[in-house]
Amino acid sequence: MGRAYSTIAFDPAKCDGCGDCMTACAQAKTGTDDIARSRIQIYGREGAADKTFELALCRQCADPKCVTVCPAGALNKDGTSGVIGWDATKCVDCLLCTVGCAYAGIALDEATGHVAKCDTCDGNPACVPACPHGALKHITTANIYNEVGDWEDLFAPGLAGCQGCNTELLMRHTLRRVGPDTVLATPPGCVPGMGSVGFNGTTGTKVPVFHPLLTNTAAMLAGIKRQYKRVGRDVQALAIAGDGGASDVGFQSLSGAAERGEQMLFMVVDNEGYMNTGMQRSSCTPYGAWTSTTPVGETSRGKTQDAKNLPLIMVNHRCAYVATASTAYMEDLYDKLDKAIAASKNGFAYLHVYSPCTTGWRFPSNLNMEVARKAVETNFVMLWEYTPQDGLHFTKPVDDPLPVTDYLKAMGRFRHLTPEQVEHIQKKVVENQKFVERMTEHAHVG
Amino acid sequence: MSTATLEKAVAAEAPRKQKVILAEGNEAAALGVALARPDMVSVYPITPQSSLVEHVAKLIADGRMDADIVDAEGEHSVLSVLQGGALAGARTYTATCGPGLAFMFEPYFRTSGMRLPIVLTIVTRDGITPQSVWGGHQDAMTVREAGWIQVYCESVQEVLDTTVMAFKIAEHHDVMLPVNVCLDGNYLSYGASRVELPDQADVDEFMGEKNVNWHVALDPLRPMAVDPLTGGTTGKGPQTFVRYRKGQCRGMQNALSVIEEVHADWAKRIGRSFAPLVEEYRLDDAEFAIMTLGSMTGAAKDAVDEAREAGKKIGLIKIKTFSPFPVEALKKALGKVKALGVIDRSVGFRWNCGPMYQETLGVLYRLGRHIPSISYIGGLAGADITIPHVHRVIDETEALLNGAVAPTEPVWLNEKD
Repeated sequence: MGRAYSTIAFDPAKCDGCGDCMTACAQAKTGTDDIARSRIQIYGREGAADKTFELALCRQCADPKCVTVCPAGALNKDGTSGVIGWDATKCVDCLLCTVGCAYAGIALDEATGHVAKCDTCDGNPACVPACPHGALKHITTANIYNEVGDWEDLFAPGLAGCQGCNTELLMRHTLRRVGPDTVLATPPGCVPGMGSVGFNGTTGTKVPVFHPLLTNTAAMLAGIKRQYKRVGRDVQALAIAGDGGASDVGFQSLSGAAERGEQMLFMVVDNEGYMNTGMQRSSCTPYGAWTSTTPVGETSRGKTQDAKNLPLIMVNHRCAYVATASTAYMEDLYDKLDKAIAASKNGFAYLHVYSPCTTGWRFPSNLNMEVARKAVETNFVMLWEYTPQDGLHFTKPVDDPLPVTDYLKAMGRFRHLTPEQVEHIQKKVVENQKFVERMTEHAHVG
Repeated sequence: MSTATLEKAVAAEAPRKQKVILAEGNEAAALGVALARPDMVSVYPITPQSSLVEHVAKLIADGRMDADIVDAEGEHSVLSVLQGGALAGARTYTATCGPGLAFMFEPYFRTSGMRLPIVLTIVTRDGITPQSVWGGHQDAMTVREAGWIQVYCESVQEVLDTTVMAFKIAEHHDVMLPVNVCLDGNYLSYGASRVELPDQADVDEFMGEKNVNWHVALDPLRPMAVDPLTGGTTGKGPQTFVRYRKGQCRGMQNALSVIEEVHADWAKRIGRSFAPLVEEYRLDDAEFAIMTLGSMTGAAKDAVDEAREAGKKIGLIKIKTFSPFPVEALKKALGKVKALGVIDRSVGFRWNCGPMYQETLGVLYRLGRHIPSISYIGGLAGADITIPHVHRVIDETEALLNGAVAPTEPVWLNEKD
């Protein structure tokens, strides 16, 4: 399988043209403050009504035209880092490469008389941290692909999730990571609904898989794991469950298994309702949200209670590992998945993944990751992890959150909210943030 | 065969020496479990079952039983843990009763569909409301259409022996169904009796090889999807579903002969025999009979003996195996009598009679006989069914022979105690 590479991403909506990135680059690469020599250039867009900006920067193309047109063989793409390197000893300064590049990613540095281009500062680009607005990001998720891309996908092709659903992504990544010596429990919900256990004698999974009841997932897995342990076999017990089965009717068995320290990884895919059954309310449904059992009508404007915070409840079981994660932050998720698997060898590991539901939350199917990201950027959900040894800490702290309306307006399920309801939600977001922050402060107590 | 060889063969088949102890029914059940060597036990306490699981826990704590014990947070999880264990190849056991069994019902119904040979003792208790923690068969009767084998014990010794046999029956490859060993709450659970404890080596030989998940497993070495969805109004979905249900019914019917074989094998190896399906007591020359279930049978046999001495042509029919209902064995017994009094320790609300009485009417139809009969309901919520109660049953049933008209309503034995 081919390699994927890290990249520098630019969000024009966040850029105000301050030029700090250019200064940082010039300093790092030329030892001067001359932004004309920066290898990243920000330009004001011509003719736009509002002042907007665009980027001139080497994209480290997969099929780089600068390399193709170079008559001297002075430009080469590095197979390991993906960076297109320039070799001064071969370059004849013909500048053909600057014509070949469509992104103005390679240009003449008049001070040296040679071309210059971004080399990503050996994987730690100086421009990214220099941006005060977060308009530049060093995207390194390609490392995940490079690591797991060749591992066997243990789900069959053609699982039948809704268009734009991120759960299939989550399932495939998780199972790739745990590997074939696994018994998988998928209690009634979207995960088996898309064909993991299968229909009429077919199955979508290459490891042993079963439907527990909605109520007894953790208990059945505990029995399986204990027997394999008894006979000396290392078998991973894994649940991929929905929030309804975990927070409502299945909570007793979940809590019991956590209290007993049963050795398993229990992953909850939280789409904040009984989405597979027709989008009914669960105790994880947030305040104000429309669901089919908290409809919007003359006398009702969505759910009237706040969501139960299941991961925090699991923290209070002193599980071996508890974390929240989002598919918009795959490196964070992968890191937590690794830790959760390791913890599940000796105790109960709980991973709570927020999973926007295109169908039930009513947003366009191409916006799943955007909705997931906005949830984090507004602090509507917080990404953290907990171990009994190190306590609780944020893994993606958002100190300057966007207003919660930026998240709410992305979805039809909140379309009906009154200003009072929005105010309630914003207040709760702040309250929740403070609550979790206090837990981080007391991380080492006990 | 030389004399010496013959002697050796006979000696090898004779049971080894059995220790004599005094034990309550709950302790006897626990000792039976230990003899069967389960891999996994999951427990949750409930009266009058609690001392049973306490005995199991102590046997494990003392190293007299090598099993993983899971103190689950409720009966629902208790059975679910065992389902997981069984799917991974474990021999599994638990016990419950009354509200605990009701709470367990969701995984309970599923156990037989997955053909998991789990053994579950029901220390029978009456159903609420009104609140009662005392004995009665209502709990076990309420779940009788869930595809489990259900056998009822008469004595503490029968509890011990039947508990071991239950594993053999459940795991028989022609059966592969879960088994309830039902023992009367209070009367057997707390009733102390002289008990003979079979030798472990004899029991090991009796049990043979263990293989509980040859047919369905959650094992990475032979991956499969367990309990997939079925769907559609025709084709593979309904066909799969029917195959499962027919298989369960076939397993139940196979169990009738397997239960007989296992009891015969137990008698041969251990030296004690019990009627496996239906016991006929003084029935051969009887003109009328009473029917019993469980521990009430002891008092009933005494009453029958007294009635016989008084010249009454009375016999007794005891049901041991209630599920599958032993139609053929009962036909044989019912064919001998002309009137019948059936004592139930639970209520059949739909027919306004005892559940065993109702089932027996179906057997009489199969037999093509219409004999007068009375449904008695007694021993509810811990009430005792005494010898005088049984004499009333005997006298009223005898009167049917002489033209008395059977009441259309059940007779409530303890109503005016």
